[in-house]
Amino acid sequence: MVPKASPAPPKASSNVVLSLWKSYNEQTSDRLRFIDAFLFFLMLTGIAQFIYCVLVTNFPFNAFLAGFSSTVGQFVLAASLRSQVNPENKDEFKNVSPERAFADFALGSIVLHFFVFNFLG
Amino acid sequence: MLSLCTLLSLIFCLFSLLEAKSSTGNSVLVVLDPAAQSQFSIFFDGLKDSGYELTFRGPKDDAPLLIEDDIASFAHAIVFASDTKNFAKDITPQNLVRLLSLNTNLLIALSPKQTMLSSLAAEFSLILPPPGTPLISYFPERDERANVIPISVPAGSPLLTPNTPPVWFSGVPFVLGNNPLIVPILNAPEESFAADSDSSTDTLADAAEKGGEGLWAGSQLGVVSGFQALSGARVTWVGGVDLFSDEFANKEISKGVKSGNKQFARDVAAWTFQESLVLRLEDADHHIVNSTISKEQYTINDHILYRAAISRFNPKDDVWEPYSDIKDMQLEFTMLDPHIRIALPPVAGQPGVYSTEFRAPDRHGVFKFVINYKRKGWSHLHHSITVAVVPPRHDGYPRFLSAAWPYYAGAISTSVGFFLFSAMWLAGDVRQLKKSKSHKTE
Repeated sequence: MVPKASPAPPKASSNVVLSLWKSYNEQTSDRLRFIDAFLFFLMLTGIAQFIYCVLVTNFPFNAFLAGFSSTVGQFVLAASLRSQVNPENKDEFKNVSPERAFADFALGSIVLHFFVFNFLG
Repeated sequence: MLSLCTLLSLIFCLFSLLEAKSSTGNSVLVVLDPAAQSQFSIFFDGLKDSGYELTFRGPKDDAPLLIEDDIASFAHAIVFASDTKNFAKDITPQNLVRLLSLNTNLLIALSPKQTMLSSLAAEFSLILPPPGTPLISYFPERDERANVIPISVPAGSPLLTPNTPPVWFSGVPFVLGNNPLIVPILNAPEESFAADSDSSTDTLADAAEKGGEGLWAGSQLGVVSGFQALSGARVTWVGGVDLFSDEFANKEISKGVKSGNKQFARDVAAWTFQESLVLRLEDADHHIVNSTISKEQYTINDHILYRAAISRFNPKDDVWEPYSDIKDMQLEFTMLDPHIRIALPPVAGQPGVYSTEFRAPDRHGVFKFVINYKRKGWSHLHHSITVAVVPPRHDGYPRFLSAAWPYYAGAISTSVGFFLFSAMWLAGDVRQLKKSKSHKTE
């Protein structure tokens, strides 16, 4: 999932990060970067809910479970989509076209949200 | 007109004064030697004037029976045949105890002789001294024999008339066991002791050598003591039958002052025959505060209102009257242990009604509202209502709590994010398709 770092030797830690960021932007397609942005958003909302649960209250616990698991589940589904549509993994998913991968993702997500909203109230 | 009304009501009052009645019935069996009957005429006439129907039976007579076909024949029984060794076949300790469970009240006189009754007294936690040792006191100095003793009546007793003069007593004392159902009525004077009348000085000398050990003495000894069974029936044990006699009733306690025996005997009989200090719980109900429907089951943390109506028997008018003077009654809400125990005070303005409010515990199970009011002398109030306390139903919990809004927002934002992501993904696909098509055409 993590984009490969550029082969250039690192000079300092800030340079490493910068070069990582640069090579990620150069070598990753728009679609994958779009998925990464979605993953990042899910991670942030999940972390926010977890912090709220730890610092403020876990009551009602079912709401926490629903909210938190919706972000985690959506993250897993989106990550699966990313690995299936990544051209580098073409050999592993010979039978899965990108369209099929997206349909799987959409169906899984709809089922997930159905359960989440049932459990939320 | 007004004076006529007051006159009529006065006549009615006088009439009703004569008709003091028991709360459980007016038939009384008196087990007494017919020859001795005339010795107690003042006491028996007093009972007859109060409205009791007395039936006399010699201790060896076969009829009338105490219990016929498992039903008590009389509402009350007086056993004054204290010196009798052999009673008729049906007058046995077992039958006397059975009478109590059939809610018949007993007034029993003991004597210094060892009889069936003195062994029965031990079953009621009254420990009698050895046979033949009556109560003796040389104080105050008087002309009578040492075993005829004036005893002053305790002032604070709820069942005796206040300011009753001292009473004459002659008979046997007893030690009160620690049975909680015992109601002490009259105790022996401090200077008195139990001893054989002929050798009382020897008894004292022996006891003095042993440092007082083995001497039955002092004000802890009882001479008249009540016992209230759990069924509500009452027994009174009197150390000597002479307490009720005409001789003692007419005897002067000091110059010009008649003894209190007549009044005391009447008070003791009134208590024993359930005329005085008789309470009854009329009804009790419970419901949720701000509602009037009584429920079989409550939800945890419900606010419950409990209400009880209590009345007291008025022997003068033979009626039950609402009674609001109980200040120390408590209500318990129990599941094995009392989870809640609170005061149940009278409600101002509503005679006889006691009410309180409380929050059901945060605990589900089968609970009971329990009133358990047992005070010495007063009839016991024991009542319980069983209810279930259940957790809220699945739809009884509060929903959409403000504390959970971050979680709701998280779930909603994920869904919205999914829709936006899907829409943009599909749009991007179309764009790519178009792009690739345009590439092909070029």
